[in-house]
Amino acid sequence: MASQRVLPQSKETLLQNYNKRLKDDVRSIVDNFSEIIKTAKIEDETQVSRATQGEQDHYEMHVRAANIVRAGESLMKLVSDLKQFLILNDFPSVNDAIALQNQQLRSLQDECDKKLTSLRDEIAVDLYELEEEYYSSSYSLWDTTDLPLCEAYRRRDSWGSPGTGPGSAQGDGEELHGPPSQETKPQHHLNGHGTTSVEKP
Amino acid sequence: MANDRLRALEEVEKDIAMILQCAGNVLLELSKDKHNASFLDRQLAQFLSSVNRIESELSGQIRYLTQVATGQPHEGSTYSARKDCQMALNRAEYAKVKLGELGRTCEVMLDPPL
Repeated sequence: MASQRVLPQSKETLLQNYNKRLKDDVRSIVDNFSEIIKTAKIEDETQVSRATQGEQDHYEMHVRAANIVRAGESLMKLVSDLKQFLILNDFPSVNDAIALQNQQLRSLQDECDKKLTSLRDEIAVDLYELEEEYYSSSYSLWDTTDLPLCEAYRRRDSWGSPGTGPGSAQGDGEELHGPPSQETKPQHHLNGHGTTSVEKP
Repeated sequence: MANDRLRALEEVEKDIAMILQCAGNVLLELSKDKHNASFLDRQLAQFLSSVNRIESELSGQIRYLTQVATGQPHEGSTYSARKDCQMALNRAEYAKVKLGELGRTCEVMLDPPL
């Protein structure tokens, strides 16, 4: 692996340009300021009349002050460009920012799911009882193919007991609750999803 | 952190304004008949220190960028974590809605409207 980084030409050129702008602007500010101070010195002997010399000095100071301000504005633009370059190309800090944000979002998600899980555990028992109460009351309008959860669990527990064999499915089918007039053997599903009816042979 | 570097650049901007202000104060003082030497010295010292600070700080930033910059765009994102978090908040909201309905149903059963 090369010990020296090889930047793409455009990026390297850009950074060299930034360096040049920095050096030029700082030199411009310092030079123009020192020249103004030198010009402010009053000289007794002048080649032209004092009025003309004064006028010339006034104009020169005006121009140099404008140069100082221009160099200051150029430095501000350079700082703005550097900020933009930093935001787009400073990968270590962008990676850190992304990692921090991901960590915060994941911790929020974990906290949310943890609270939902504990809520589920708390109300599971109450919901079971509520369901039992509801489906055994006269308010429910379920059909034989639509078993409540508690009933389905009870059926499953009874199938799982020893002594039940493959033939017991039919026998269990006979024990299905339902109106006596029903002749078909319904295949029960939890809460009525995807019901199909199978005729008893 | 990126914020530290950006804050340093904002301090540099303040220093640039300080440079111009100090230069203006020095020239204003020189334009008076009687100069306050200590004020002039103070402003000049501040001007020179700000100039040096600006140059060293910006050179340091450019040197850091020379070491760190590549030509490639950054392709990282927080989209997946954000989406997962949004889904978790939606789940919580849904559970809240359903519990609200359950609560209202129970209240209606316990206190039937007249």
